[in-house]
Amino acid sequence: MANRTYEVMYIINPETPADTIVKLNDAVGKLVEKEGGTVVRMDDIGPKRLAYPIQKKTEGYYVLFEIDGSGQEIAELERRMRVNDMIMRYITVRVDEDRKSADKKRDKREKRAEKRASFRPAPEQQAAMVSDARVDN
Amino acid sequence: MADKDMEILNDRDMGVGEDVIGDRPRRYQRRRPRNVVPDYVDWKDIDFLRNFVPERGKILPRRISGISAKDQRRIAKAIKRARSMAMLPFVLD
Repeated sequence: MANRTYEVMYIINPETPADTIVKLNDAVGKLVEKEGGTVVRMDDIGPKRLAYPIQKKTEGYYVLFEIDGSGQEIAELERRMRVNDMIMRYITVRVDEDRKSADKKRDKREKRAEKRASFRPAPEQQAAMVSDARVDN
Repeated sequence: MADKDMEILNDRDMGVGEDVIGDRPRRYQRRRPRNVVPDYVDWKDIDFLRNFVPERGKILPRRISGISAKDQRRIAKAIKRARSMAMLPFVLD
């Protein structure tokens, strides 16, 4: 299947000891590799204040993964995250399509800007045109 | 990504003061901020999304921010994603 890119973010219970968090993150990476995906980026954001309490906690430990894969590893990962009680919340977002359309939009804009720049005469040319007009009169 | 040059949230741009004219329906001056929405709206970019979340925690309506319908949909989606991860509030009072 075509390659897809996902962003997976999860919030870990802040009372979890640091080494357990590291172990959990390693396990996630390994699981993804095992299922045929690749970890593009792993971002350990760390403890952050929650905008509203989750499970009576006001803080959470945020971790972000960027994963390339077919979608199979995501299914497995989500299944595991659901049963893991250290993970208070998780989200998976497919980003490749939106990024592609963003790139397209940027390219289009750049191309248009280029075209416009090439169409508009250079300043000295413009000056020449003005003086020509004066001569005609 | 955090575009600091958006200033749609100051009073004038919000159209404040034009809300109620006597008993007649509200009138809004349509504002057209240019280039405020990036090509890729990142749901993790809280600083940017906050521009569209006034104090109450609600999503700023399009008639006030003046962004395009497409951009509004993208931003609304990003805000909802951020909310579900407790990065933005659902309500604040």
